[in-house]
Amino acid sequence: MRENRLWFQRPYELLRVSMMALLTTLWLVISTVDSLAQGTPVTGRVLDEQKAPVAGATVNIRGTSTGTSTGADGNFTINVSDTSVLVVSSVGFEQQEVPVQGQTQFEVILVRSTQSLEQVVVVGYGTQRKRDVTGSVASVRGEELARQPVQTPTQALQGRVAGVQVIGSGQPNAQPQVRIRGTGSALAGVNPLYVVDGVLTDDIRNINNADIVSVDVLKDASASIYGVRAANGVIIITTRKGKAGKTIVRYDGNAGLRQATRLVEMANSQQYRSYIQDIAPTFNSDRPPLTYEGSTDWYDALLRNAFFTSHNVSLSGGSERSTFFLSGGYIEDNGIIRNNDFKRITVRANNDITVSKAIKLGTQLSYSNGNEQAVDLGGGFQPAYRAAPVVPSKVGDKYGNVSAFGNANNPVLYNDKRDQNILSNRFQATAYIDIAPVDWITFHSALNIDALFSNDRTYSYRFLNDTTTYLTAGGNQQRNTSELNLTDTRNHRWVWDNTITFDKSFGDHDLTFLVGSVTERYRQNATTGRRVDVPEDPNLWYLSQGDPSTGSVPGSTGDIQKRQSFLGRINYSFNRKYLVNASFRADGSSRFSEKWGYFPTVGAGWVLTEERFMKDQGVFDNLKLRANWGIVGNDNIASNLYIPTASINLLYFFNGSIVRGATIQDIKQTDLKWESSEQFDIGLEFSILDKKLTGELDFYNKETRDALANQVIPGIFGDPNNQFVTNIASFRNRGVELVLNWRNTTAGGLNYNVGGNVSYNQNKVTGLNGGQAVLSGNVGQQTYTTRTDNNQPVGAFHLFDAIGVFQSAEDVNAYRSKNGVLLQPGAQPGDLKYANMNDDDAINEDDRTYFGSYQPKVTYGFNFGFNYSGFDLTADFYGNAGNKIYNGKKAVRQELSDNIEADYSENRWTLTNPSNTDPRVINNSTPASTYFLESGDFLRLNNLTLGYTFLTARQKKLFSNLRIYITSQNLFTLTSYSGFTPELLSSDPLNSGIELNSYPTTRTFAFGVNLSF
Amino acid sequence: MKTDNKSYLFTITISLLTLIALPACNDQLEVAPQGELTEEAIRADPAAAQALVTGVYNGLYSDNVYGQNFIDVSSVASDDADKGSTPTDNPNAIPLDDLTMESNNFPVSAVWNAYYGVIARANQALSLIPLSPAAAEIRARYSGEVRFLRALMYFNLVRIYGGVPLIDTVPPLAEINNPAFQRRASRESIYDFIQRDLEFAMNSLPVKGVAEYISGRATKGAAMGMLAKVFLYRQNYDRAYSLTDSLIKLPNAAGTYGLLTQYDSIWRENGENSVESLFEVQAGISTECNTAVNLYSVYQGPRAGGQRGWRDLGFGLNTPSQSLVNEYEPNDQRSEATIIFINPSPAGTVLWDGFRIPSRDSVENDRYNYKAYHSRTQESNCNNNPDRLPKNIRILRFGEILLIHAEAALAIGRGDEALTDITRLRTRAGLTTPLASVTREDIWHERRVEMGMEHDRYFDLVRQEAVQPGRAVAAFAAEGKTWIKGKHEVFPIPSTQIQLSGNQLEQNPNYR
Repeated sequence: MRENRLWFQRPYELLRVSMMALLTTLWLVISTVDSLAQGTPVTGRVLDEQKAPVAGATVNIRGTSTGTSTGADGNFTINVSDTSVLVVSSVGFEQQEVPVQGQTQFEVILVRSTQSLEQVVVVGYGTQRKRDVTGSVASVRGEELARQPVQTPTQALQGRVAGVQVIGSGQPNAQPQVRIRGTGSALAGVNPLYVVDGVLTDDIRNINNADIVSVDVLKDASASIYGVRAANGVIIITTRKGKAGKTIVRYDGNAGLRQATRLVEMANSQQYRSYIQDIAPTFNSDRPPLTYEGSTDWYDALLRNAFFTSHNVSLSGGSERSTFFLSGGYIEDNGIIRNNDFKRITVRANNDITVSKAIKLGTQLSYSNGNEQAVDLGGGFQPAYRAAPVVPSKVGDKYGNVSAFGNANNPVLYNDKRDQNILSNRFQATAYIDIAPVDWITFHSALNIDALFSNDRTYSYRFLNDTTTYLTAGGNQQRNTSELNLTDTRNHRWVWDNTITFDKSFGDHDLTFLVGSVTERYRQNATTGRRVDVPEDPNLWYLSQGDPSTGSVPGSTGDIQKRQSFLGRINYSFNRKYLVNASFRADGSSRFSEKWGYFPTVGAGWVLTEERFMKDQGVFDNLKLRANWGIVGNDNIASNLYIPTASINLLYFFNGSIVRGATIQDIKQTDLKWESSEQFDIGLEFSILDKKLTGELDFYNKETRDALANQVIPGIFGDPNNQFVTNIASFRNRGVELVLNWRNTTAGGLNYNVGGNVSYNQNKVTGLNGGQAVLSGNVGQQTYTTRTDNNQPVGAFHLFDAIGVFQSAEDVNAYRSKNGVLLQPGAQPGDLKYANMNDDDAINEDDRTYFGSYQPKVTYGFNFGFNYSGFDLTADFYGNAGNKIYNGKKAVRQELSDNIEADYSENRWTLTNPSNTDPRVINNSTPASTYFLESGDFLRLNNLTLGYTFLTARQKKLFSNLRIYITSQNLFTLTSYSGFTPELLSSDPLNSGIELNSYPTTRTFAFGVNLSF
Repeated sequence: MKTDNKSYLFTITISLLTLIALPACNDQLEVAPQGELTEEAIRADPAAAQALVTGVYNGLYSDNVYGQNFIDVSSVASDDADKGSTPTDNPNAIPLDDLTMESNNFPVSAVWNAYYGVIARANQALSLIPLSPAAAEIRARYSGEVRFLRALMYFNLVRIYGGVPLIDTVPPLAEINNPAFQRRASRESIYDFIQRDLEFAMNSLPVKGVAEYISGRATKGAAMGMLAKVFLYRQNYDRAYSLTDSLIKLPNAAGTYGLLTQYDSIWRENGENSVESLFEVQAGISTECNTAVNLYSVYQGPRAGGQRGWRDLGFGLNTPSQSLVNEYEPNDQRSEATIIFINPSPAGTVLWDGFRIPSRDSVENDRYNYKAYHSRTQESNCNNNPDRLPKNIRILRFGEILLIHAEAALAIGRGDEALTDITRLRTRAGLTTPLASVTREDIWHERRVEMGMEHDRYFDLVRQEAVQPGRAVAAFAAEGKTWIKGKHEVFPIPSTQIQLSGNQLEQNPNYR
C-alpha cells in the first residue's frame, strides 16, 4: 500500500474505526431500556380504488417507529395520540398521510401507482423514498413480472425499464442477457450485478417470479455503493415478506404451450437437387440419395410444441412480533427442441422476528432445484440447417445417413444418442439482525450465503455407421465407444455486511448517514470425470462402470476470490427541496495485482415544486431536477488473468515411456487492473394534470476506461490462442431516456394506463491506448467479421461491401480500377461484386469498411392497461432499432452439399435468373460481406393478457381474490431479419450479433389462475 | 443513556480483542492461482528445465505442425498428391491443390501460428535452462535438443513462406509492435540462424544409442542430417557432402545408421526408431489418448464416402497422384509400399495387416497414402481414438541421407559415390538391374520415388527449380497444375498476420 493516502483510504484504519463504532453501538443496545409507545387505540380499514381491502399495508405514526400493518380484510388497530399523523403505505400504492385529530375510525383509500413519489426504492444497503433519490433508479413491481409466463425475472423485465436491454432466448433455463445503458465493457462481464435480499450474484435463475415484491434497477453512478462490481448497473431484487394479521394463502398458476415463432424455410428436395446439379455436377444425380422422392424438413423432425406450466403457492402472515412468508413453486418449461426439458422447484421462507423495540432479526431462505435435459445446439440443432433434404430423418428405428452424403450430422440421431442431464441445487440464505438502540441509529449485520451444487452428466451412446443404425451405411457420424462425462460443480459464496445507519431530522434538515464494511469470500470447485465403454443402462451411468484402462480423464479445477469493502454514504435534504448525497466505497479484490480501488459518487436534487415561486403554478404536481456523478468499477473477469502460469502435463514419449513436460506459453499482462467507468446522469422528473401524466427524462454519459479486452497478437508471439488480456480500451456510452406514463379512471369506472419508455444510446470506442483494433467474430472460414476500433461501436461489423452480382464474363472484365487493372480477376458470372473502397488496384482486406454493430441505437417498450368491472387487459410491446445482424449460419459453408435456404434457392443467380443480389453459390471462399448483413430492428408484442376478476366472489368473502386470465408471450414479432430470431445471446461483446445456432424464440399461449384467501 | 466507566472499559476491551483477531486485510486478498502452476514456481523448480524441454517436443503433436493443415500445405499442394476425399470435402485444401491459394487460406494461416507456437515454447525453455541447477553438459544437452527442434520449425517456415520474422527470445509484451519482431528477416538470415542452431545441437547432443540417452530425443546424428539437408537447400554441396559422408562412413562418431532391409517396414510400428531413423515424432498410448500427432493417419485413411457402406478408416484426404504413380519404374517395390491401390475388381484390397478394403465402387478414391496407414488390429491403438493413432512420424531417415549424399557428391564431382548411394536404395527396392552411372536427373527421380508422400516433394521441387529452372513448371504441368515462377516458390503470408503486424509484415510477391 502506498503511504500518502488519507486515513479513510487505509482500509485497515477504516475497519478499525467502524468496528469501534459497531461495538460501541452494541453496548449501547445492551444498556438501553425499551420505552413503549402509549396512547388511545383507534381502528381503521385500508382499501384500494376499487374498495377492495389492501392486506399487509403498513400503518405508521409519523416521526416514530410505532406501527402496525393491516390484515387480510384491510383492518388495523393502533395506539395514537390526538396530534399523531398516520402514514399508510403499501408497495405499489401512493403513500397517504392522515392526521388523527380526534377521530377513532378511519377509511384510507390508497391510490395505485407505478412511480409514486412516496414509493420506497431500494438503493443498496438501505432504502429511500423515490422523491429523495438523486440517481436514475427504476422500480418494477413484482406483480408486473409475475404475470408473464417466463422463467426468469430478468426476462420479465424486458421492455419495462428505459435503457435496459434484455436479450432473451427460447431455450429453457437460458440466462437472459442484460445491458444497462449500452455495452460498457469488452471482456469483463457486461451483465449487471444482481442483489437478491443482500446476496450479490450474477445469476438469478433460481428466483421464483411470484416471490418478488419489487425489482429496482440502479442505472447510473448511484450504483457505486456497490463499487468495483457496479459498472454495468445493479438490479436489486426484494422478495416478499409476511405482514402481521390474518394468514393469506395465495395460489398462482398457469399452463400453456410454447411454439417456435419463426423458422427458416430450407430448400426442399427438388430445389436442392437443382442447386446441387448447378454447383457440383460431380454429384451423381441418378444415384441415391439425390434420387430420393420425399423431402425432409429437418426442423419439422426436430421441433415440437412444448408444454409450459408454473404453479406457486404461498402463505404469509404473522403477529406483531413475528411475520412469515412461505412459498413453494414449480415450473416445467420444455424446450421446443425434442428431448430438451426443464423443471424447477423453488422453496422460500422469509421470517422476521421483532424481539424488542430495539432488536429485530430475520432470515430469508431460498432453495431451488433445477433438472434440465439439455441439448447440444452445435450437434443437435445447427446441422438441421445444413442437412440435405434428400435424406430422410428417420424411418422406423433407422436413421437417414446425412454424413455419408454431405458432412452434416443427422441432428435427430445426434440428440437421440446423447443424454445430458444437469441437476442443480441452489441455496440462498440471509440471516440478519437489526439493532436500534435509539430511534435514529440502526445497526445492521447480515450474513448472506449463496451455494450452488450442480451435476452435469452426459452419456453418449455407442452407434456405428452401419445398417444397424442407418438406412444406408457409411459416413463419419458414428461413435465407436460409449462415453460418460461427469462434471460436479460446487460454488460457495458468503458475504457479511455490517452497516450503521444514522437517520435524524433537525427541523427542516433530514440527514441519513451510513457506514459499513462488507467481507466476501467465494470458492468454486469442479470435478470432472470421463470414462468410455460405460453400459447403456442408465442405472449404470457411473464412472466405475467404464473401462479404466483408457480414455479416462479425471480432472479438477477451482477458484478462490476474496473481497473486502468499506462503504459510506450521506444523504441530506433541506426542507425536502434540496437534496444532496455522496457515497464512497473502497473495494479490495484478490483478482488484481493492484488490490484496492476507490469509488466515489455525488448527487444533488432540486424539487422545484416545493419552491414558493412554484406554489401558484397549476401545471406541475411534481417537478424535480437531479444530477449524479460517480465512478464505478468492473472486476467481472476470471481470476488469475494477470499471473503467468505454466501448462503442465504436456506428455511426450521417449523410448516408449511417457514423460511429463511443461511450457509457459500463455502470454499475460502482469499489471492488469479493474475497469472503471465514470458516469454522469442528469434527469428531470415531473407529474402533471393531477398526477395523471408522469414522466422522467434522463441524459447520461458513461466513460469506461482501462477496459479489458483480448488483444489478438501476431502468431509470432506463440500464444496458444494468439491473444492476451489487457487494459486496452476506452468506451463511451451516451444517451437519452424518456419515460412517460398516463393513468386515469374515467367517470364510468374504466381504469386505464398507457405508458412507454424509449432510450437512445450511442456506443463508441474512444481510444485503444495505442493498441491495435481488435478483430473478432470468426464465422467459419471468414476469418473475422467484427472490428473494434476508435470511433466505432464495440464489435462493429467490418466487411466487404457486396454491390451486386456479375452477370457475365464481360461484366467481370469491365470491373476495373481507375488504372485499368482487373479488380476481381478470378470471378465467374454469378459471383458477388465487391466495392473497391480505397480505389486502388485490387479488392483486398483494405477494402473492408464499417457497417454498424449489433448494438441497437434505440430500445423501447410501451404498454397499455385497461381495467373495467373485473376485466383487465394489458399489452406490452418491446422493440429495438438500429442494430445489425450477421447471418453467420448462411455464411458458413462447410460443404458444397450443405442445404440452402428456400428463398436463396429461388432467388440465386442462374443463367435464367439474372439476380443482382444473390450470388450463384455461397462457398467457403465467399468473404465476409454485407451480403450476409441484415437489419436487426424488431417490434414485438411481448405480452398480451386478458383477465377477469370475480368481484362477486370477493364480496361473498369466498376468496379475497380470484382471477382467471389468458396470456400470450411473444404473440408476434415484426422484423425484416430472415433468421430464427433477431435476439442473439452472446457472452463476448466483441463477437455478438452473429447468428450461428440460435435457439428459436418461442411464442407462448397460457391460461392461468390467481387465487387468494 | 447512562453508562458507567466499567461499561466503557468493557466496550474498549472487546473492540481491541476483535481487532486483533481480524487478520490484516491486504494479506487476505492475496490469492494464489488455484490449480495452476505459476511461472514463478516453475522457475524455482530444479526439474523444470527438463519439463520445459519435453514441452517443446509435445508441441510437435499439434495437427498444424505435422497433421492436417501441414499435410495440405506440404503435400496436397505438390504434384505427388491430390486433395482426395469427396469433391467438396475439406474445401480449404482445394485452392492448395489447384495452386490458387491466397493469403486468407486457412491451412497456410494455421501452420504459421502452430510453428511459432513451438518456437515460443523453445525460446521459453532456452531462457530458463541456464537457471537449472543441472551440470553444464546436461544444460548444454537440453539447449541442444531445444535448438534442434527450433531449427526444425524454422526450416519448414522458411521453406513454406521464405523469410519470416526471426524470434529467438521471449519477446516482452511491451514490444508487441516492435518492427524487430514484426518484420520479415531475409531468407538467408533465417537459414544462417537454422545453421547456427543445428551446429550447436550437433556439438552438444549425444550420439544415437548411447546408454544414458534414450531413443526419441534429438541426437547428434539428427542434427548433422538436418544440417546436411539445409546445406543442400543452400547449394553448399561441400558441407552437405561432408556431413552426410560422416553419417554414412563414421558410425562411431555420429551413431550407427543404415537402411532397413524391408522398405515398407519403415512405416510400421516395428520399424519405429530403427537403424534407418534419424528423427521421428514419438507417439504412444496414454490414458487421454493424446500422445500422437493429431489428425495424421485418420486424415489420410481410406474413405468410404457413403457409397456402399463399410467402416471408414479415415477422411481419405491427401491421395497419391497419377503423376506419382507414373514416376515408379515397373517392379519398384516402393510403389506398393507408398500407395494403397484400390482395386476396381470385387476382390478388394488386402492390406499388410489383413484388413480388406472393398473395391472401388464402395470407396471414394483410387489411391491412399500407405505410409500414413496405422493398423488398428496389428499395431497399438489408444481406445480406438481415430484422431490420434499412435504413429511415429518419420521426419528424417537414412534413405534421405543417401540421397543428399548422392546429390552433393555428384555436384562436387564424385559421381561414383553417388552411384553407390543410389544403387543401395534401388537394390533395397527390388530394382536389381545395375546402373552404369547416375545423373542429377536420376537422383531427383530416385528422390521422388524413395520419398513419395513424405511431405517433402513441394519444397524439393522448388529447390530443384533454383538449381535447374523449368523443373517445377514441368513437374506440375504433368499433374495438370499451373505453377507460376516468381510466385509459387513460397506460399502467401497469412493476411491476418499482416493486419496484426500493422502491415509491417510484407506479403510474398504476387499474392493477395
